[in-house]
Amino acid sequence: MPPKHNSRRMDELLASVTEDLLEGDPQHFQDNSIRVERILLEMVRPDPVQPRRVLPEQLHLAFHSSRLTPTQALKELVHLVQVAARQRGRPFNNVLELLPNSDDETNDEQDTKLSPEEQLLRDLVNLAVTIRDDGQVNPLTVVDMSEGVTRQFRIETGERRYWATWLLRDFIPSYDGDGMIPCIIIPSDRSSVFRQAKENTARSGLSAIAMARQAALLLLTVHGYQIPDSAVPNDFYRQALELDLRGKREYTDTILTAMGGVEKAQFSRIKSLLKLSDESMELADRHNIEEFRLRHVVSVSTEYHAEILRQIIDFNLTAKQVKELCEGSDLHVDEENPSEKLPTVAVKMAKVTQSVSTLTAQDLARALMLQEADPAIARARLQALQKLIVEAERLLVSE
Amino acid sequence: MTRTFVLTNHKGGVGKSTSATTIALGIAGVLRRAGASNSRVLLIDTDSQGHATLVTTGRNDFGAEDSLYAVLAADRPNAAQVLSQCIVQSTWDPDLHVLPASPMLEGAERELMRVAGAPYRLADPLSRISSHYAAIVIDTRPSFSLMTEMGLIAATDAIVPVEPRYLETIGLMSVMSKINDIREGWRHPNLRISGILVTKMDKRVRGHNHLLDELKGHSVLGKLLIGVIPANEAVSYAHHNHVSVFNYDPKAPASRAYAQLVGTLVRRISKGGS
Repeated sequence: MPPKHNSRRMDELLASVTEDLLEGDPQHFQDNSIRVERILLEMVRPDPVQPRRVLPEQLHLAFHSSRLTPTQALKELVHLVQVAARQRGRPFNNVLELLPNSDDETNDEQDTKLSPEEQLLRDLVNLAVTIRDDGQVNPLTVVDMSEGVTRQFRIETGERRYWATWLLRDFIPSYDGDGMIPCIIIPSDRSSVFRQAKENTARSGLSAIAMARQAALLLLTVHGYQIPDSAVPNDFYRQALELDLRGKREYTDTILTAMGGVEKAQFSRIKSLLKLSDESMELADRHNIEEFRLRHVVSVSTEYHAEILRQIIDFNLTAKQVKELCEGSDLHVDEENPSEKLPTVAVKMAKVTQSVSTLTAQDLARALMLQEADPAIARARLQALQKLIVEAERLLVSE
Repeated sequence: MTRTFVLTNHKGGVGKSTSATTIALGIAGVLRRAGASNSRVLLIDTDSQGHATLVTTGRNDFGAEDSLYAVLAADRPNAAQVLSQCIVQSTWDPDLHVLPASPMLEGAERELMRVAGAPYRLADPLSRISSHYAAIVIDTRPSFSLMTEMGLIAATDAIVPVEPRYLETIGLMSVMSKINDIREGWRHPNLRISGILVTKMDKRVRGHNHLLDELKGHSVLGKLLIGVIPANEAVSYAHHNHVSVFNYDPKAPASRAYAQLVGTLVRRISKGGS
């Protein structure tokens, strides 16, 4: 027998049941409150455009393009750190060896400067051990991104705890957890780039580069740009260089507040850091170089950025030293403005040629006399100028 | 805690799969219409015949990699992830998700017989994803096998569908005694007998009326009676067309009775009571 299919009638049937249920309390089932749940670790993913990066850039991009699983990404990180540590003469096999040994009184770890990768892994191991011993006290904040049968939660805050839990699960012996992680779940329609920014800036340790990415995300959002849900290159953030707060005055206060209450001028300087080259951004981010040391580098041609950054890191240059380094050398090569590499006097002379028609011979002779106070010297100056003009003309003809 | 309803009876043909699929669809539909923040319902088919899977997904080709079998065969740490990957969307409703059965479940029981912790192979991973669902409904096979035991251990509420026939009502006590064994033996205090569902009730048959009256009059069983589903051709025609009876003929007596039952269950879900 053919179906008497009629979805409207089915709706009516279930609607009548619903009406009975809601009688007297129409809001009974509407619970949009933020809830805390324990979620399977595999269902949680870090935010690919989160300005605060945990993994080094290369691993970050590989992980978010699904070329690496969380375990593989950590394996790569451990390998990276092992190489760096071996080069510094402190090899290790087990990640727990990265932690300082409290029983060893001759321990000189305090005096040893760790590389950013070593420091990162050491911090993660430390966090993992704390989670193992004391439990995950502070839940992650995640946004429910589930679609259909696919359950997915995107981390808004707590990416370090996420990686520490993976590290604990796969790299540290004696893990006896159940692969779950406590999370505060925010419905996707309540997710906000502004809240994420506030959470980020409220905590210490946000690098200047992360702040620059944060500023870019906020500007791009208020200007209606679509924020992708996959990893993006720095050029995505650089689109914000062409945007400013003037275009969206109604959001100015919200953006500045979300950035931690910075002034407009400071916001602008933070945003300018996006002009740094990719390599220098990575270096500045990993070594947590402050904005006041980076702002001078931005004015220098991009090809020199990475080298200057290395000098800042190797010699721990102060802002003043960076300024002198950037201004005192001949690094201000700006292809768009070649006049900057010419002697200033030549540029001035060229400008004089534009106003020569307003000049009379008497005025020039009187001015020369006033300047040199000797007719012979004044004549010598004019002859030198004449020679220069003839030579310049010859060059122009040959070009 | 997510309410997990298991429909169980060691007698076949009493309407376990029909009731499980209809209840699951009904709960999802009613919760959505009520504006609930979560109206997703998971239907787990533990019967190797896979009838519930077939009617709700239109497929019966699930195998070792993408069915409940894969979950039971997975290592403990990976089982929850495997479970979430095996879940598929029902063709009936986007909020109705199905963990499909496979004919391989038949063999799984033999394979797991000597494995330590085998009865928890469903409950353990399910507990790790259950919070994503407003309710879970488990359809079981018509026997008290390891698979049924797994379904009962994973559940919070047992519903016993029964036909109004003399021998079946006699068997009802043994079903309830088995559920109590699970509750006591496996120290699973959350499992309760949530209701007896009389199915295929034909008011024209004097014996049916007589047994229903006896059931209602019984001091214990009478209180557990949760619904009476009339015998209705619409149910079998709905199966034939792979649609729910709600969709096939919403005005059919069986549809109205199931809708009433769904209302009762949703009320229990929302109140968290028995």
